[in-house]
Amino acid sequence: MSAFRIRKPFTDVVDSAVLPRLIHLSGDLYAAAFQLMKLLPAQFVLQRALEQGQLTERSTVIETTSGTYGLGLAMVCRRLGLPLILVGDTAIDSHLRRRLEALGARVSIVSGQAARTGGIQQARLDRVERIRARHRSPFTPGQYDNTMHANAYGRVAELITESFPQVDALICPVGSGSSSTGIAGFLRLLWPDLVLIGVDTPGSVLFGAPNGRRRLRGLGNGLLPKVLDHSLFDEVHWVPAGDAFAMTRRLHADHTLFMGPTSGAAYQVGQWWTRHNPGGTVLAVMPDEGHRYQRTVFHDAWLRREGLAGVETPREPTEIAHPGDLEDRWSRYAWRRRTRDEVVDLRAAVGTR
Amino acid sequence: MSSQQDEAQGTLLLPGDSDRRGWGTAHGHHGELLQGVFEFAGSLHRGLVTLPCPIMSTEASVVVTEETPEWTVHPPWKTKALLAARATADILGEKAGGAVSVQSNIPTGFGMGSSTSDVTATIRAVLSAFGGTLPTDRIARIAVEAERAADPLMYDRMLLFAHREGLILEDFKVRMPRIKVIGFVARPEPIDTLALAPARYSRWEIESFRALRGMLRRGAAEGDVAALGRAATASARLNQRFLPIEHFPRLLQVTEETRAAGIEVAHSGSVAGLLFDAADPNLAGKTDRARRELLRIGISHTWEFFTDGDDERLPDS
Ligand SMILES: Cc1ncc(COP(=O)(O)O)c(C=O)c1O
Repeated sequence: MSAFRIRKPFTDVVDSAVLPRLIHLSGDLYAAAFQLMKLLPAQFVLQRALEQGQLTERSTVIETTSGTYGLGLAMVCRRLGLPLILVGDTAIDSHLRRRLEALGARVSIVSGQAARTGGIQQARLDRVERIRARHRSPFTPGQYDNTMHANAYGRVAELITESFPQVDALICPVGSGSSSTGIAGFLRLLWPDLVLIGVDTPGSVLFGAPNGRRRLRGLGNGLLPKVLDHSLFDEVHWVPAGDAFAMTRRLHADHTLFMGPTSGAAYQVGQWWTRHNPGGTVLAVMPDEGHRYQRTVFHDAWLRREGLAGVETPREPTEIAHPGDLEDRWSRYAWRRRTRDEVVDLRAAVGTR
Repeated sequence: MSSQQDEAQGTLLLPGDSDRRGWGTAHGHHGELLQGVFEFAGSLHRGLVTLPCPIMSTEASVVVTEETPEWTVHPPWKTKALLAARATADILGEKAGGAVSVQSNIPTGFGMGSSTSDVTATIRAVLSAFGGTLPTDRIARIAVEAERAADPLMYDRMLLFAHREGLILEDFKVRMPRIKVIGFVARPEPIDTLALAPARYSRWEIESFRALRGMLRRGAAEGDVAALGRAATASARLNQRFLPIEHFPRLLQVTEETRAAGIEVAHSGSVAGLLFDAADPNLAGKTDRARRELLRIGISHTWEFFTDGDDERLPDS
C-alpha cells in the first residue's frame, strides 16, 4: 500500500476533458471551469444507452442541437465509431459547423422556409422524426427530455465533495437544466442547505419570464425542458447579453480565466452573491472556454455593431416581484424551491402591471 | 460465557490432539458508513465502508488433530468458520485436521459482522496453528468464499470493499478517525443478511453514491468526522427505501438536535448509531443530550464506544 498515487496518461481525449477544474478566484468565490461541459452528458448518455442496448454498432445517433451539446456528441460518437446526424437551423455558427463536420457528423439545416409554418423548434423536431424514420436503428439522446443527462453530473458532485469541506452556494447557468439539476440534486444529499442559484437570461421562458429574442446563447430556453427540476432552485437571476459579455471579458482580465459568455453571467452573479454573503464558499459553474467567442464576445468591433460595447454592469440586480415582470436588465427573484407552476400561478396574486 | 469456556477447554482433551495450537481474534463492526454501488476499473460493484466496533470481538482457537484430516467446529452451527478453517488448511497444503472453537460476543442478525468476525478469527487461528501466513487480501477472499459476502474486518484501515467479491474498490489508506458512537437497535426484528435481496438502485442513486464517496475520501484524508457523518447520514437516507427504519425521520431529527456528526445504520441489520467527533470539546454535553433525546423517542437501551477502541483517552480540547 503506497502513500500516494502516480498520475497516468488519459486513455481517451473525452476522459481527459469531462471533469471541470476547480479554481479559487478570490475571497469566497470558486469556479468549476469546464473545457466543454456538454461532453460529460454526451459521453454518459451514450455509454448508458450502449449498456442498455438502446444503442448498438448499427445505430445512428440523431439529435437536434446547434450548440455545444452537438460538439460533445460529435466527439463521443467519433471515438465510438457511431454515425451522427445533427439537426440545426441557419443560425448555426459556421466555425462550429466545420468542426462538427470534421468530426464526421452530418449537419442537417432546417431552413426558414420549413420553419414558417410551426416555428423553428418544431420544424427541427419534425426533421429529426423524418430522419429517424429513414434509419434502421435511430437513437436520439434527447438532451431536454432525457433525465439521464442530469445523472451524468454525479462525477462532478464527487469532485466537489472531495475538494471542499463545505459549499454554501452553487451558481449555475441554466439551459437544459441538466447540469444544475444534476449537481445540486447530488450535493443536497450531503449539504441540504446548499443554496442553488440559477442564471437565466431575459427572453427565456425557463423560470416563468416572457418569451423573447435572446442574444446570450447557451443558457436560457424557448421551451421547457423535462430535465430541469425547478424545485431545487432558491434564487434565479436573469443576466442580459451585454452584462454577461462584459463580465466574460472581466473574468479573463481579472483572473486570466478565458471562458464563454454563460461563464461570464455566472461570474457576475457569483461576485454579487459573495459580496452579500461573506464567509460562505461559493462555486460558480463555467460551462465552456472562450475560443468559440473570439470573433464575438472578445471582439470590440462586433460588440460595437451589436450595440453592446462599453456596457457598465450594474452593481445590484433589480429585485422583481414576479418573473412575469422581467425586463431586459439584470434581475433577481427569490424562487424558494418552488415548482414552476407554483411560481407562475402567483401571477394572479401579484397582478399584471 | 464460563460454560462455553469449559466446553472449549473440553476440546483440548480429546485423544489424538497434538500440541499444535493456534489462536486468532477479530473485531466486529457497527454497520456501514456507506453502502451502495461504486465504479471500479470501469464497471460497477456493490461495496461498503464498515464502521469498526472494537468492543465486539471474536476469539477462535484451533487444536490440530494430526491423524485425521477432519475439521470440527464448536459451537457446531458456526459452519462458515468450519469452511474457512478447511479452506485455510488446504491453501497451506496441510493434510491434518483440527478442532476449532469460536467464542464471540457479537450477536447475530444485528448486522455487526458476527459471521465475518468468526471466519476471520478462525482463519487467523488456523494460520497461527500451522505457523503460516497469508496476505490479507487472500484472507478476505477465503472469507467471501466461506460466507458469500464478507465484511472487511481483516483489514486494519478504512476501505471501500466489494463485500460479495472480496475486492478493495478504494483504499483510503488511513485508520478510521476516532469517532464516538452511541449505538442502539433501530429495527426490532433480527435480519438474515444473506436472505435479503440486494438493493436495486436507480441510476440516480448509483450516481449519487459518487458524491458520498467523494465526501468520505475527504473525511478519511483530513480526519474530518463531520464529513464522514454527513456521508453516513446520506447513505442511511438513500438506503431507507430498501430496508426501512420505521422511525427514521425522528432519528434524523435527533441527529440534528444533538448536533451529532451524523447517523449511521447497519444497511442489512438492526443496529444504528449516532456519530460524534471524539475531539469535540463539547462531546460529553452532546452525548448526554443524545441519550436523553433517544430515550424520549423510546430508545432506552444504548451502548457506546470509540471507533479506535481506546476508551481511556479523553477528548482533546
Ligand atoms: C455554454 C453553455 N453554458 C450553459 C449551458 C447550460 O447548461 P445546462 O444545459 O446543463 O442547463 C450550456 C448548455 O448547453 C452551454 O452550452
